[in-house]
Amino acid sequence: MTPYRKNLCRTMTIMALAALVFMFRLPQPSGAASIEDVAMMKGADRQKILVEGARKEGKLMWYTTLIVDQVVRPVKEAFEKEYPFIQVEFYRGNAENLVRRMLAEYQAKRYDADLVDGTVSPIMVKRAGFLQPFYSPYFAEYPAELKDPQGFWGSTNLYFLTPGYNTRMVKSNELPKTYHDLLNPRWKGQMMWSTSRGSGAPIFIGNVLLSMGQEAGKAYLQKLKGQSIAKSTASNRQILDLTIAGEYPIALHIFNHHAYISKTAGAPVDWYAIEPVTATIQTIALAKSTPHPHASMLLLDFVLSEKGQKVFQQSNYLPSHPKVPAKQADLKPGARFKRAVYMTPDIQFDKGNEWVDYFQNQFLK
Amino acid sequence: MVRQPPSEALDLSLKSRRGRTARGVFGLNTAVSFSPESWVLVGVSVIIAYLVLPPLYSVLQTSLFTTTLTGELDEFTLRFYADLFREFQVIEPFLNTVYFSIGSALLATLIGGVVSWIVTRTDTPLRGLGYFTAFASFGTPFILYTIGWLLLLGKAGPVNYWLGRLLDQKGLLNIYSLGGMVFVEALLWSPFVFLMMAASFRSMDPTLEEASAVCGARIGQTLRRISLRLMLPAFFSVLLLIFIRAFESFEIPALVGLPGDVRVLTTAILLDAQRMPPTYGRAGAFSVLLMLVVAGTLYVYFRVTRDESSFHTITGKGYRPALISLGRWRYLAAGGLLVYSFVLLALPFLIILWASLLPFYIQPSFEALSKLTLKNYVSAIHFPKITDAIKNSILLGLGSATVVMVLTTFASWILVRTKLRGRWLLDLLTTLPLLFPGIVMGLAIMRFYLIVPIPIYGTLWILLAAFVTRYIPYGIRYTHAGLLQLHRELEEAAYASGASWANAMRRVTLPLLTPSFLGGWVFVFLLSAKELSMSILLVSPRTQVVSVAVYELWENGQVGELAAFGVIWTTILVSVSVVYYLFARRYGVQQQ
Repeated sequence: MTPYRKNLCRTMTIMALAALVFMFRLPQPSGAASIEDVAMMKGADRQKILVEGARKEGKLMWYTTLIVDQVVRPVKEAFEKEYPFIQVEFYRGNAENLVRRMLAEYQAKRYDADLVDGTVSPIMVKRAGFLQPFYSPYFAEYPAELKDPQGFWGSTNLYFLTPGYNTRMVKSNELPKTYHDLLNPRWKGQMMWSTSRGSGAPIFIGNVLLSMGQEAGKAYLQKLKGQSIAKSTASNRQILDLTIAGEYPIALHIFNHHAYISKTAGAPVDWYAIEPVTATIQTIALAKSTPHPHASMLLLDFVLSEKGQKVFQQSNYLPSHPKVPAKQADLKPGARFKRAVYMTPDIQFDKGNEWVDYFQNQFLK
Repeated sequence: MVRQPPSEALDLSLKSRRGRTARGVFGLNTAVSFSPESWVLVGVSVIIAYLVLPPLYSVLQTSLFTTTLTGELDEFTLRFYADLFREFQVIEPFLNTVYFSIGSALLATLIGGVVSWIVTRTDTPLRGLGYFTAFASFGTPFILYTIGWLLLLGKAGPVNYWLGRLLDQKGLLNIYSLGGMVFVEALLWSPFVFLMMAASFRSMDPTLEEASAVCGARIGQTLRRISLRLMLPAFFSVLLLIFIRAFESFEIPALVGLPGDVRVLTTAILLDAQRMPPTYGRAGAFSVLLMLVVAGTLYVYFRVTRDESSFHTITGKGYRPALISLGRWRYLAAGGLLVYSFVLLALPFLIILWASLLPFYIQPSFEALSKLTLKNYVSAIHFPKITDAIKNSILLGLGSATVVMVLTTFASWILVRTKLRGRWLLDLLTTLPLLFPGIVMGLAIMRFYLIVPIPIYGTLWILLAAFVTRYIPYGIRYTHAGLLQLHRELEEAAYASGASWANAMRRVTLPLLTPSFLGGWVFVFLLSAKELSMSILLVSPRTQVVSVAVYELWENGQVGELAAFGVIWTTILVSVSVVYYLFARRYGVQQQ
């Protein structure tokens, strides 16, 4: 090989590699309006502009923590029926993995995600600086605790964490009805809870500390410690199933709609409230460098609208919209319980580690 | 024997020393080192280094730096190591960990070893059951297998119920205890021991045992003094692997230990993931420490097996081991085999099957019979993209099993047959992935392919790369132990007859290695079908895999749906393994 050809060869290799790198770094094609313009757009022709833009985009990618066959798919179908020119794609994972994935992608400047949801994942992405605030006309219909003041997120549905119990093992009139009742020696070793930050022991501890105050709360928890509550890394759903199987009479902190669903299927289980109930908020947010801002805004509008909220309702989820009741209405505050502590994403982010630490140091021996 | 410091790492220029034992192709002179086979070997080593080093780098980094909210490296710190040492000072978790790992390793080796001896070396009836049990129990999704045991041995489970009725005492067995952890972990790993030992037993030199028998030794004596000693490399491999796996495992301590307040070293690490943002520093530091320990162990292992000829069981003489006649004892052995299959497979599988047929879980009873339904199977089949997931998982299993076994066969050949300096580093390199925490390794691989311009992010290829890296350690244990048993003279005979290296490899070494290769292949196939911690990060909307689907069902579905799906999936996996095994064994036998 002559030096000349060798050089040419090398140059070409370098060029090919550079082209490859370039291909993967190429910014997404953007329209005239910036992402921020689209996200914050107000005015009469907003819908028209969004539809036109979305028509060109043709699809969107939703990073979701929701259950695919229960709710993501129904939402996708309802939305695509409304906007047949938009294809909704989704990636499902739990909060931790979803966030890890999105952060790693953003660091590598790969912008796949348009929307991200979860009770804690959007706030983690927000704190990392990778969320775009947005405006939706439907925000006006929601109370203050169910939307971000700066418009970083809206809420699609709620979760209420209550005890669930095996109806063959415990009669309803014997149940520990208050936090104080849980300290009765009768329940020692009879309860189970999950270690999950967002739905298990740590957030229960958070609820106690917030509602009773730090000092009284800690004094209470010190007594609760003596009750030898079994811990598991299993999900709340599985802990409830262990309760149905009779392993533990009481699952201390589970999603009330799970107990309702099992009860409807004939399982010997029910839920009841110890007030104040822990409530968590499923939020949805817009990625900072969303490649499909118009389509994403249409989906955000859709899930926040009453029409979209009805899809959540029909899927047995508890809609956030104040005017849309749950299919089984008493799962939301009202008939069976009144008071709930709403764990906003900010509280969860700022206080969560403290609660996890408290759980680890005090309850894990 | 290797005394070189690590700085002479991986001297793969193939300048072999002409030491006293240096023979074979690489013993001749440096000119040989440029022959085609050396390129194969260099290639294999480079591929392994390419797969293993980036995650290794990432694990080290994770253990030494804090991260910012965006996941970028922040400050250098030794805090994670300090945390870890503080954790080590609390004596109880440390002791629990040691008991748990040693107990599981010993129990699994005992169960798997005895059963594999019965199956491969004796004339016990029903021997085929051994393989079937191993495949089927190992093919059951991990979570489901554990849940099966929790339901069986739990407070309200049938075992405690019947024990209670018989002995008039409540809650006799407590599965949520150290003993329960050892029991489940050992059962989980005994198929691995079985497959590995079976491969080794099948390659046993019968003349040594016959000689022993001729000298008047009884079966027990022969077993103890001849067979077991010859099996030392295989024994060491399984003990080491299971010990390490148990030492660093999160799953059983979390599901079985935690509810009973049995705390081990990984418990604190596990709960770190609950922090926001999740930190893996302690997990990283933990695995770095383990790596140092394992590096030391491997060095010792290398010294123990350095005199490789002591373990040769396949020589130029007729080697196909004869079956030992157990006489009347064979019915007892068959009974033992039945018990093994019943406990390892039938019990947990039946309870899973039971759960899959119920709308919600009820303890087995006549009352519950009226509730039986196939509803869960209907929802399992309708799980989103489930056929894609099954197809992807099977493809990945086939791919990673094949790539791992081919790579590790060559790697073992380098380790066993050549006298390259720093070979043990290659051994270390092929063992390290065992010690990477799955989640850290998944992250490392994800970041690596997001940065380097190799466009496999979001495809099945990234999963294949991850799986191959993760399962190299298992493959190498199979092929290494197998190759140690193979006497050099067989290859030398081929060279003497004028065969090229490739020819000798293809016609002599590989066919003789078939049992190990097959055992390892099936094992990696089944393992990759279960892999979760990396898959969960690396799958994309278009590359769903079964283990992730199982996990989603576990997190959000009900026990019945999970069980129904598990039953279907186990059936598919076992069918593929059995078909492959029968096919490949026949093919392998013909080759010989």
